[in-house]
Amino acid sequence: MEELVPSSSEPLSPQTLASFRALIISPSTPQSKISSIFETLTRSLELTPDSLVLNLLSELASRHSNLSHLVFDSVRSNSLLPSESTRLAAESLDALASISNTDPTLSSAIDELDDRLFVSLCFGPSVSVRSWLLRNAERFRISPYLLLTLFLGFTKDPYPYVRKIALDGLVGVSNSAVIEDRSMINGCYCRAVELLSDMEDHVRSAAIRAVSAWGLILVASNPETKLYWSDDLFVKLCSMGRDMSMEVRVEAFDALGKINVVSEDILLQTLSKRVLAITKEKRSLGQCPAEQFEILASNVAGVLVHGLEDEFYEVRKSACHSLRALTIISAEFAGEALNLLMDVLNDDSMFVRLEALETMLHMATFGHLNVQGTHMHMFLGTLLDSNLLIRSATRKILKLVKLSNIELFRLSFDSLIENLEKHPQDEADIFSVLFHTGCNHGKFVVSIINEASEEIDQASEGKLGFDSARVAALLVLAISAPLSHGEHVCSIPPRIFSYAVTLLGRISRALTDIMDQNALLAYLSQCSISTTFSATDLNIRRGEPCLPVANIEIPNDTSNEIDGSTRTSLQQEKDGASKLQSWTMREPLELAAPLGGFQVEVHDEVMKPINLILAKVKDIWPSIHSGFTNEVLRTLRNLKEELATFTSDSVGTIGAVAFTLQYLQVIKQLAKVWEHFLPAKKLCSSGLGELDLILGKLDMRLRELRSRFTGLSMEQELQILELVLLTCTLRLCKVEICCHFATLKKLSTTVSRVESILKSATIEPTIFISEVGKLLCLNETSRSEASCNPFKFKELLKHFSLSQFVLCGRLNQIKAELTIPDNDSENPLPFVSRLPVGIPCDITLHNTSNENKLWLRMSMDDESTQFVFLDLNLFGSSDEVRKFTYVAPFYKTPNAISFTLRVCIGMECLFEGVLSVKKYGGPERELTYLCQEKEVHLSMIGEH
Amino acid sequence: MAIDSLVLGAGQQVGKSCVVVSMNGKRIMFDCGMDMAYHDHRRYPDFSRISHSGDFDSALTCIVITHFHLDHIGALPYFTEVCGYSGPIYMTYPTKALAPLMLEDYRKVMVERRGEEEQFTSEHIVECMKKVIAVDLKQTVHVDKDLQIRAYYAGHVLGAAMFYAKVGDTAMVYTGDYNMTPDRHLGAAQIDRLQLDLLISESTYATTIRDSKYGREREFLKAVHKCVAGGGKVLIPTFALGRAQELCILLEDYWERMNLKIPIYFSSGLTMQANMYYKMLISWTSQKVKETYSTHNAFDFKHVLNFDRSMIAAPGPCVLFATPGWLSGGFSLEVFKQWAPSEMNLVTLPGYCAAGTIGHKLMSGKPTKIDLDKNTQLDVRCQIHQLSFSPHTDAKGIMDLVKFLSPKHVILVHGEKPKMATLKGRINSELGIPCDDPANNETVSISSTHYVKARASDTFIQSSLNPNFKFSKRISEDESGSWLKDRKFMPQLQVTDKRTAEGILIEEKNKKAKILHQDELLLMLGEKKHEVRFAYCCPINVSNLEETKSTSDNVLCTSDRCSWLQLLNNKLSGEISGGNIQDFGEHLQVESFDISVCLNDKCRYRIIDSQNKSEAVFFCCTWSVADEKLAWKIISIMENFDCESH
Repeated sequence: MEELVPSSSEPLSPQTLASFRALIISPSTPQSKISSIFETLTRSLELTPDSLVLNLLSELASRHSNLSHLVFDSVRSNSLLPSESTRLAAESLDALASISNTDPTLSSAIDELDDRLFVSLCFGPSVSVRSWLLRNAERFRISPYLLLTLFLGFTKDPYPYVRKIALDGLVGVSNSAVIEDRSMINGCYCRAVELLSDMEDHVRSAAIRAVSAWGLILVASNPETKLYWSDDLFVKLCSMGRDMSMEVRVEAFDALGKINVVSEDILLQTLSKRVLAITKEKRSLGQCPAEQFEILASNVAGVLVHGLEDEFYEVRKSACHSLRALTIISAEFAGEALNLLMDVLNDDSMFVRLEALETMLHMATFGHLNVQGTHMHMFLGTLLDSNLLIRSATRKILKLVKLSNIELFRLSFDSLIENLEKHPQDEADIFSVLFHTGCNHGKFVVSIINEASEEIDQASEGKLGFDSARVAALLVLAISAPLSHGEHVCSIPPRIFSYAVTLLGRISRALTDIMDQNALLAYLSQCSISTTFSATDLNIRRGEPCLPVANIEIPNDTSNEIDGSTRTSLQQEKDGASKLQSWTMREPLELAAPLGGFQVEVHDEVMKPINLILAKVKDIWPSIHSGFTNEVLRTLRNLKEELATFTSDSVGTIGAVAFTLQYLQVIKQLAKVWEHFLPAKKLCSSGLGELDLILGKLDMRLRELRSRFTGLSMEQELQILELVLLTCTLRLCKVEICCHFATLKKLSTTVSRVESILKSATIEPTIFISEVGKLLCLNETSRSEASCNPFKFKELLKHFSLSQFVLCGRLNQIKAELTIPDNDSENPLPFVSRLPVGIPCDITLHNTSNENKLWLRMSMDDESTQFVFLDLNLFGSSDEVRKFTYVAPFYKTPNAISFTLRVCIGMECLFEGVLSVKKYGGPERELTYLCQEKEVHLSMIGEH
Repeated sequence: MAIDSLVLGAGQQVGKSCVVVSMNGKRIMFDCGMDMAYHDHRRYPDFSRISHSGDFDSALTCIVITHFHLDHIGALPYFTEVCGYSGPIYMTYPTKALAPLMLEDYRKVMVERRGEEEQFTSEHIVECMKKVIAVDLKQTVHVDKDLQIRAYYAGHVLGAAMFYAKVGDTAMVYTGDYNMTPDRHLGAAQIDRLQLDLLISESTYATTIRDSKYGREREFLKAVHKCVAGGGKVLIPTFALGRAQELCILLEDYWERMNLKIPIYFSSGLTMQANMYYKMLISWTSQKVKETYSTHNAFDFKHVLNFDRSMIAAPGPCVLFATPGWLSGGFSLEVFKQWAPSEMNLVTLPGYCAAGTIGHKLMSGKPTKIDLDKNTQLDVRCQIHQLSFSPHTDAKGIMDLVKFLSPKHVILVHGEKPKMATLKGRINSELGIPCDDPANNETVSISSTHYVKARASDTFIQSSLNPNFKFSKRISEDESGSWLKDRKFMPQLQVTDKRTAEGILIEEKNKKAKILHQDELLLMLGEKKHEVRFAYCCPINVSNLEETKSTSDNVLCTSDRCSWLQLLNNKLSGEISGGNIQDFGEHLQVESFDISVCLNDKCRYRIIDSQNKSEAVFFCCTWSVADEKLAWKIISIMENFDCESH
């Protein structure tokens, strides 16, 4: 080593440094050599701080973690002096930060670095160091208030690059959500607004981001001034829509799309380049100050129009996107915007056209898509687009759209036919659209079919071949009619349905999302016998809320009218496992609302998006099944966030949102469990314990799902039960998991419940349910150990697939709020040791009925628990909300100066079996908890 | 210093454009157009106003031409070859390429059709074009040592540019004709945010605000599609450059998307040749065309075929572009005669057709019979579609541009007088920028920026290197004045960076100007610092002064003085919230406001020589200007203070 180290105190030569580097990098260098290199470098750093040496040291630290502490200290003590050179000091900071990154034990050391050093370096004359520091400020964990001050100050820097970084820094600080001082927020916002008129494009772009970020915080900070600031922000952003720089414009429209409250007159003004007459008249815009009216109006006027006809497709796309959020705000605006969007369908860029269609789909989902006759040419024109994506996006919208008159319906139908003729590969999707639109517009279907029935009859003459695309399309349309809820259903001639049977394969391929082939066949056969029968049946059903309108029943006696082939297939259905699925359950949400026409009005607004979420849950089943657990969990997380945005106050929807959240939890646990059942997956690290744990969680979530919601329809209950069965099955296929017996018992009770539902509601079971039933049946008859074979249960898993949950009726969540007034660790309740103590509880119960058995659970730190029964008959009669104060006795007060008690309200799950080990004086069955645990602090009297 | 703009043409009218701008000793002529409506000397700008002697070379530094339209370039050959200007002429490459075609075409029409006397010959045009220096977009051209010009994209027509000119510290932009919204083949005008003294803008549509172009495009496509789907023929009469290409791109795109197979024809002649120019000058077209030309040149029309006269009577649907526009004669009229009698066919016309043309007749109402000449009458049964695309910016575009550039002064040209006046008012009131709309041969003089070059002292440079920002809270006046008053408005956080703001400019005779840091000023001047302070000797009524006096033997001792101050201090700290009152024993201080008991009966700051001065104790107050408000507040408190001592 000696030969490498120069004896004198001269700086190390580049050659020496290069050789050091080689040694540091090489994995074979002995540790002793590394240490001596470290010493040499440290000495050199002490004498003449140098950035090359610094680099080497940080390299050394990253490769030899045993030395990282030493390197860290050496760098900190030797080169962190700003007096030497700001550049070097900054580099040292960089080195320190990266060392602490690789070695987590040093993360606290980086916190201890003085903020003052960082700030003083920022104030140095070197611009590059300044910009570097500001850009990397987050790595040094500077306190957010200090950072904010720095960034805010440097927005005044004469160097545009520094201004830009400072603005970006401000956006970063805003994301951390630490700053709550309103004048501070306002200050940041106003400063950013000033920079909107900067000379440099990049600064203006950054300023828009900052204005948007701080503006949104400002808007949210005070509900009183919300609209004022929102309008202000909107107008400020609008003023950038006509900037000469493309990047700035894109940024402006992106930011506009993030605003979700704006006065309607401002919104409408953005769609007209002329100042609207009504605006001119009252000389004010939204909440904006009137004296600046003219300049404001000219800022806002036609901004979105300009955006949509911009030269750059990036801007047009962004403008299209921004419309999504804005069209939700106002229906009138949505109508006006649609006129423009329809024109955008003529855009030369595919991306823009697609974006426009996506926006329309979004509008349709929120019920703000009102298609007019004048739109039809452009809109339906996209069905003939040569691009597959465009055509399919248009068809998605068509599925949802409600057409006001038969002319529009006819136009759409003709265009779909044209689409089918020109692009036969779209057939499945087109049939699906026809079916859905048919369901939505039963009346129009009937009149179209009646006009065309002759054509269909001719096509069917002789050979039963419907080669013509048009006739096939007509048939699909015709068979959808009975599913629309109207009095006209019976007027479709029954023979049409038997014609449709000949196209069974093609049609069923298109309708996989609604029903499978057998269900379709059964449906067609039944309708072909007599539509009047189904119609009367429908009428009965309609009176009953929450039940799907259509009911598909296999006639008990195989009637003579059915031709031979159908009969055989029906007979097959009859024996044993009927595979007919209850199709209404799987029906996508788009249909759910129109079908259940009686319930939609109330909370249609929220139900649609919720059902959309549930539809997505169904879609991720294949991913769960094939083990992409991480993706699945991420998707679920996103869905949860999406769900969190529904803040509707309407009573019905609160329950629905809570239910969906719970459902997502269940699926999340299910996904985690499923991971353990994948064949290829090696899960050596996670032991059995983990699986047990997750299964336990899954059980608990399912229990909550089952017991805490009232108003579930039978189908919905059935779907939950199916999940319960699945959980049991999962347990049973792992030999290692204990409590076989209990699980089997649970399985059989669940199956019996399922059977009773199936009997009373005449719903067809899924394959999985019927297979489970069969296996259980076998078990009971044979009573042999062999039948408990885990492999048999594993076989069952194959049959399971997640079906779509559709929420329709009003759901109520049973929940409780519990508070212990005037109690915290500072104000404990007094007690005397070994004597009972009364704990005053303020309890609010939602949606409970007197049949519910509620318990107050009180547990101490040592896990000793006491239950107190809450007799609901004593506390008011209102089912919806009960509010009362109850003094709960706690008997086993410990011999201690003070203790804490955790109190919670639980409800007995009536469907669960009686607990085998009954706790004395406690509940008989498993509990689900209705509220968060509350801590009660108690303290011995006289001990203060 | 001043900028003088002499408007020789297009002053309060749409016609020959020509503005001569003199700034800092340089003289630039922007555009040299002709007015097609006149056939006498009025068709040209009055060049004699530039120089009576006719020595234009010394009178003008250069000529800048914005685009090839005749109302912007028509008089150029006359001015150079006949009037004898031989200085430099600047225009963009496409303009240089296309201008001779336009000039030659015009010359032919004038001489051959109308039999007029020739104003300039073909040779003149060739010679004139030799003097032209072509420039590229955003290329800074140094015309001479002091004058720089730069071209910016203007849309409007192929090769149109706005020109930026700068002499010394004075800068201006002349827009020529421009379009702020893109169309299918050309982009929107694009310019940097510049520091300008003057903006000269066209104002063809000074009051019009146009709706989205999309609607008109949709109507056009719908009409054409409907016609060809029904087996009809579509005739689109256009001029060679611009409109034909724009519409053709629109149709091509639609054809491509809808997979239509119906042929589109171009009549032989100029149009096909013009497409060549477009194909070569791709960098002057719209973003979309530029982006895609490497895979497919938008002007390589796939569906376009050459049209043959024999095909006029051929059956089947088609679309035909034919020259000239307006159906003023030639081939387009010939086709029209054949196709007009069938109601299946369609003719599309532009928003404007010159009076006297067939196009004009078709647009006024929906005639069923048209007299072609005295003997022939044509039965018009075909459909007529009007589409008004215009390559000029609308009023909103002008406002947007003016707002974006925020020049110190605006001059409007190339518009109709009453409409320009309206726009002038808007620019004045909404943007707060002075604006003029001079008539022809008027001169507008505006002052311009003048910069002084100065040396900076080392201390100043040092002080401006390091950031030095301060925060202050300010209640913004403009907001507090508005309706927000009744709400809880918030004080605004203000940031200032003092590093560059605090220099002092010193101009000494015979020396270069110099910037000093403020600390250096006194040193340099050899002066002491003076501070202006206000003073006022304020009486305070003391009801039981006599009593006090008697006990203290008519002399206020030091401790008494202190107790007076003490009392005052208590009073003030109760009244002034937030003010930081410092007690120095002998005197009190609030910010710069200083109070001490005044024993001098003849204090010169004593205004009221009150009769009952025995009942008052006087306090001498001094303060500096900055705290004036505070001072008067304290004094009013003091004057109302009835000192109930002991």
